[in-house]
Amino acid sequence: MKLECEIEKIKNGIFIVERITGKNLTLPALNSILLIASNKSLKLRSTNLSLGVEIEIPARVEKEGVVAVSGAVLSGVFLNIPEVGNVKIDGADGNLSIKTKNTNIKLKGQPHDDFPTIPTVSGKVFEIEAKKLTEGIKSVYYSSSPSDIKPEISSVYIYTNEDNLVFVSTDSFRLAEKKIKIKGLEEIHGLLLPFKNVSEILRIFDDTRGVVKVCFNKNQISFSSDNIYLTSRIIDGNFPDYRQIIPKETKTEAILLRQDLLNALKLANVFSDKFNQVNLTIKPREKFFELSSANSDIGENKTYLEAAAKGESIELGFNYKYFLDCFQSISSDSVSIKLSGNSRPMIISPVADQSFTYLIMPMNR
Amino acid sequence: MNTGELWKNCLVEIEAGISKANFSTWFKNTSVLREDAGIIYVGVPNEFVRDWLKNKYHKLITKTVAGAYENMRAVEYIITKIESEKHESPMTADAYINKELPLKDLYINQEDNLNPRYRFNSFIVGAFNELAYAASQAIIESPGTKYNPFFVYGGTGLGKTHLIQAVGNTIKEKYPDKKVHYLTLEKFATDFINALQNNKANTFKEKYRKYDLLIIDDIQFIGKMEKIQEELFHTFNTFHENNKQIIFSSDKHPNYIPELADRLKSRFAAGMIVDISEPEYESRLAILKVKLREQNVDLGQEVIEYVASTIQGNVRELEGSLNTIVCQYRLKNKAVSLSEVKNLLKNNIRPKKNIAIKDVVKTVSGYYKLEEASIYEKTRRKEIVKARQVVMYLLREDFNVSYPLIGQKIGGKDHTTVIHSCLKIKEDIKNDPQLLQELEQIRIMFK
Repeated sequence: MKLECEIEKIKNGIFIVERITGKNLTLPALNSILLIASNKSLKLRSTNLSLGVEIEIPARVEKEGVVAVSGAVLSGVFLNIPEVGNVKIDGADGNLSIKTKNTNIKLKGQPHDDFPTIPTVSGKVFEIEAKKLTEGIKSVYYSSSPSDIKPEISSVYIYTNEDNLVFVSTDSFRLAEKKIKIKGLEEIHGLLLPFKNVSEILRIFDDTRGVVKVCFNKNQISFSSDNIYLTSRIIDGNFPDYRQIIPKETKTEAILLRQDLLNALKLANVFSDKFNQVNLTIKPREKFFELSSANSDIGENKTYLEAAAKGESIELGFNYKYFLDCFQSISSDSVSIKLSGNSRPMIISPVADQSFTYLIMPMNR
Repeated sequence: MNTGELWKNCLVEIEAGISKANFSTWFKNTSVLREDAGIIYVGVPNEFVRDWLKNKYHKLITKTVAGAYENMRAVEYIITKIESEKHESPMTADAYINKELPLKDLYINQEDNLNPRYRFNSFIVGAFNELAYAASQAIIESPGTKYNPFFVYGGTGLGKTHLIQAVGNTIKEKYPDKKVHYLTLEKFATDFINALQNNKANTFKEKYRKYDLLIIDDIQFIGKMEKIQEELFHTFNTFHENNKQIIFSSDKHPNYIPELADRLKSRFAAGMIVDISEPEYESRLAILKVKLREQNVDLGQEVIEYVASTIQGNVRELEGSLNTIVCQYRLKNKAVSLSEVKNLLKNNIRPKKNIAIKDVVKTVSGYYKLEEASIYEKTRRKEIVKARQVVMYLLREDFNVSYPLIGQKIGGKDHTTVIHSCLKIKEDIKNDPQLLQELEQIRIMFK
């Protein structure tokens, strides 16, 4: 193969696909990036057998061909080419030569026969703006369970409800739900994106503008934009019936400023014990809202906060980490906390924004 | 043929032919799922593996399998879920203090609402349900044309839901592009009301009309819902016109669903109406045997026969009783003797009905909308005579009251009059299904 392309473009492509090359896998082909030159473009492909990605770069192809080279080495090479302009790539006998104005590199190739194909998915298709897709995933994925014991919840669950595409994640201690309004979406009964692949999907499409075409069936999903094709396995299973655990009636409700709450939580964190426990006391009649934490080795703290509260008095403990996590999805100035007893989940949501809901289970006391 | 053994042998051979790295990457977690008419179905963990086996190793696999199994015609690859070993996470202090959200697992398919557990291979066919079974098979053969609608009725716990869901599951498998949907009438009604409240009546119509097979369970509650009847009527017509199958289940014959609009009644009757009755002894025996095989427990013939002969109610009660015994068996880890079983089931057996004659008269006269006292009167008015005969028949058949005692209590009649009445009803029900239905209805009131 013989071709010429822009350094900047191939560099970005390599950095993306290199992340997905397998590590510690028995098959050496999986550690490599496959370069395919054909029909006016260069394709870079890599897979770890859970996720597969292919990026197309415009190139002037003189001779078509295929070469596989180690992903780590290739990204190491391009990381240290500071030049701009064009690069000439030449592959013969399975080896690769890379030439820029000032550098001349020769790389040993890998046998590309062992490099697997990546599945082309056929099934239901829908289109979504890349920005909305990443926003939906970003708003919830940190709540997924990182453990493999229950694959159904080590995932981001996506389904449609009327005009919304709903994203949900839970690790069974807390739960995040984000609704994104999209008109004219065909019904999706639920698909489970594996948590381990979600961060790569986010990274790859984070600065994609325009529309992503999504295609999925029972086992596999693909996302394609102008020059990127990404495919991931999906989890065959059922997400728990989470809607029924969202308490319908509220006994205590408090609204307070996001920044006040955030500061108080960070302070409480300094004193929290090994279980990350922070206590919350609300007495609406006395206009009393307090966050406190104590640690026998360090000391203790109490913070009073300005809050508009109504309903019954309540006292409960929770893990502050779970609480802090949800602030990455809340951008409004004020936050609402709804409670219905200290054995039922606490609901946190931005004021005047129905699209995000976050549940935290209180701690046993 | 043992497919597990076959695949193991093949793997040994394949391993010798390719590099170790390739073998462990591509053949780990594969298995032979089943063999069907010479086609070997190989289960693989994901699409990456399926594509690669198909593209790269198909020849090798086919050749190896053919060498080990001469009847092989083809090899197909199917993606299967690997049951990862369930690790129960140890109860740590951390897990104790962090309470979990009370999330429940979902076992029901969200797309069509069917429970995948309900299949025909666990469905026992006996005299009590063979007509319903045969009809359901005909529907699976040609959905929408043969018996449309298909209306199943029968008492609680006799397997109506199992039957209609099994039809749904089978049709889904046989015709993968048909859209199947199962729901209870209650769900249909709440959906409809929600749609009305949100001014989305059209979305509601579209939602249900896009299915190819609609299964509605527990339709008997439709009686008092006039609006729902109307909506169901229109949905039904759309289905019928487009030759799409619709299946209903109910605990009563449509004629006895109170306040059911005539137009729906006649629509129901246009297809096939079948009943499932209580299983007879042989079927009960068969059901028990299948349940035991599922649980991998052997209780001995004597015990099974005893359970089958004493628990005469519905299948659900039968299962409940069996579970009690199996639980005891597991606990003790040894065979359960007949006397122990008798002791265990003491509470499950329905007590012999002791009922005051007066109550029977009250129920029957109430059912026929007559004055209670008129039964005791010496009158030959036709409707009263009939009710009186039904009282006598029920007292004799169901409650084992002696002929002379019945005569004495019901207006001082001779015992031969009573015998005549009983015989007359017995004869009449053979020719008059209406009367049989009436008796069934009355009997339900005694339960």
